[in-house]
Amino acid sequence: MEIFTSGKLTKVKSRHEPGVSKQTGFASPATHYLEPTIDLNQELVVNRDATFFVRVDGNAFKEHNILNKDVLIIDRSLSRNFDDLALIIQEGEFKIQRIPFGFSEEEEEFTVWGIITYIIHYAR
Amino acid sequence: MIALVDCNSFYACCEQVFRPDLLGKPVVVLSNNDGCVIAANKEAKAITDIPMFEPVFKIKDQLIAHKVNFFSSNYTLYGEMSQRVMNILGTFSPNVEVYSIDEAFADFSGMKNVSLKNYGHEIKDTIFKNTGLPVGVGIAPSKGLAKLANKMSKKIAENNHVCVIDSEEKRIEALKWCKIGDVWGIGRKHAERLKNIGVFDAFQFTQLPLQWVRKEMTVVGERTWRELRGEPCNEFITQPPPKKGIGTAKSFGIKLPDLERIEEACAYYISEVSEVLRAQKSCATYVQVFIITNYHSNVDQQYSNSRTVTLEVPTNDTFKIISAARKALVEIYKPGYRYKKVGVNLTGIIPQDYVQGNLFHQPSKLNNPKLIETFDAINRKFGKATISSGLVGTRINEWELIKKERSPRYTTQWGELLRVNSKSSNSKFQKC
Repeated sequence: MEIFTSGKLTKVKSRHEPGVSKQTGFASPATHYLEPTIDLNQELVVNRDATFFVRVDGNAFKEHNILNKDVLIIDRSLSRNFDDLALIIQEGEFKIQRIPFGFSEEEEEFTVWGIITYIIHYAR
Repeated sequence: MIALVDCNSFYACCEQVFRPDLLGKPVVVLSNNDGCVIAANKEAKAITDIPMFEPVFKIKDQLIAHKVNFFSSNYTLYGEMSQRVMNILGTFSPNVEVYSIDEAFADFSGMKNVSLKNYGHEIKDTIFKNTGLPVGVGIAPSKGLAKLANKMSKKIAENNHVCVIDSEEKRIEALKWCKIGDVWGIGRKHAERLKNIGVFDAFQFTQLPLQWVRKEMTVVGERTWRELRGEPCNEFITQPPPKKGIGTAKSFGIKLPDLERIEEACAYYISEVSEVLRAQKSCATYVQVFIITNYHSNVDQQYSNSRTVTLEVPTNDTFKIISAARKALVEIYKPGYRYKKVGVNLTGIIPQDYVQGNLFHQPSKLNNPKLIETFDAINRKFGKATISSGLVGTRINEWELIKKERSPRYTTQWGELLRVNSKSSNSKFQKC
């Protein structure tokens, strides 16, 4: 006799088949110590809704240790502190520079797009 | 109190966030298939001879003459940016009702000893800082008035994009400022009628007797009337109701005469809509298929037809819906016409847990939830339509929308990230 799946009823599977493995032996000693594996999104992205990833083309920003093809993690929500590395807009173009001492958004001739928090560099 | 937060020229601003070279310049966004202009920023709106919703081919010369930057719609980007805005708004209020892609109501009831004006500015500044998108904030005792306050926040310069209606004087002043045709919930027909009886602004409308409004404008009019008098009538809907029907219909880039290719397009659209269906854990009871020739053409013979099929058992299985739709398509297809569009609609949508079995129908072995789950997982991971039913064929790009000028999907595709380079300093470094 065959039993079909219909609505919420499900077929009862035999639990004594060779295809169904059974746990024997002792339970893993790590059972009570399990933690989730490290998630880079959680570690490197503090404010998800304000974070953007940006790819760098060329070696123009070598002085900031930013190289061709690097990916920058940018958090727009961070306050602009002295010496923070920032993606800025100057004359309609993106540039990278450090926040100068005594920076005030109104007085500078550039606007800050966001603060660079990490530089991801592919090492191979 | 209730706030209405909405993004200014949302689509155009999303583009400008990633294109600082376009700040202060006219930007327009085109509809699906680049048919017509659907969004424009204020710089583009200031150029008065760009008509909205006009086919692009008619106004292309004007756009170029005025150096208007145009984009195909990038809904992936707009949707993701919208999500960010809504999430940020959620940090300011426990109840947020997403009203559309670029506007939301936020519940401020129970907030005491807070300057709502300052709070509104904080919301506006935070959203702008975190996303780069400018918003307007209107705060008032009811949704209707919040909508009005939002309008005033933008139209009256000294409001600086935040407007609060928190006193009787401000409410009356706002109502007197608002023309009857601009009232949220009053359509053009009602506005004309009201003008005929001497009601020209929102204040005069609220002075009409309730009995008259109820009789002439039904309960909808009554609700608007009460809301404008400061009495909230529209509830907060934080959970959107499940869709009653899901459909898609797109014009082909070219006109298609042969059944085989129309079948492929149809199968592709069904894969799209059934994915939506599965995402919201629903099943469809009926599938409707329709085909249309190009009704703009004077030369072509015209024909259109549609057919609705009842599915054996309500389902969200792409393969089952495709095979049902295919039978319908074969019935309505007539050779000898050049078809412009095929569309599918899934209706009779019910939660998948409530699907009733059919006494005379034995579920086939193919109806394997694991198969469909794997199918969706692969497409989520590797991108839309990475794998699909064989009936979709291999000409998928032809069924996708024409998006010639679409910007990169900066926030969802690793391969399309915003790119930063510095040409000027670049040359400097090459020298050393």
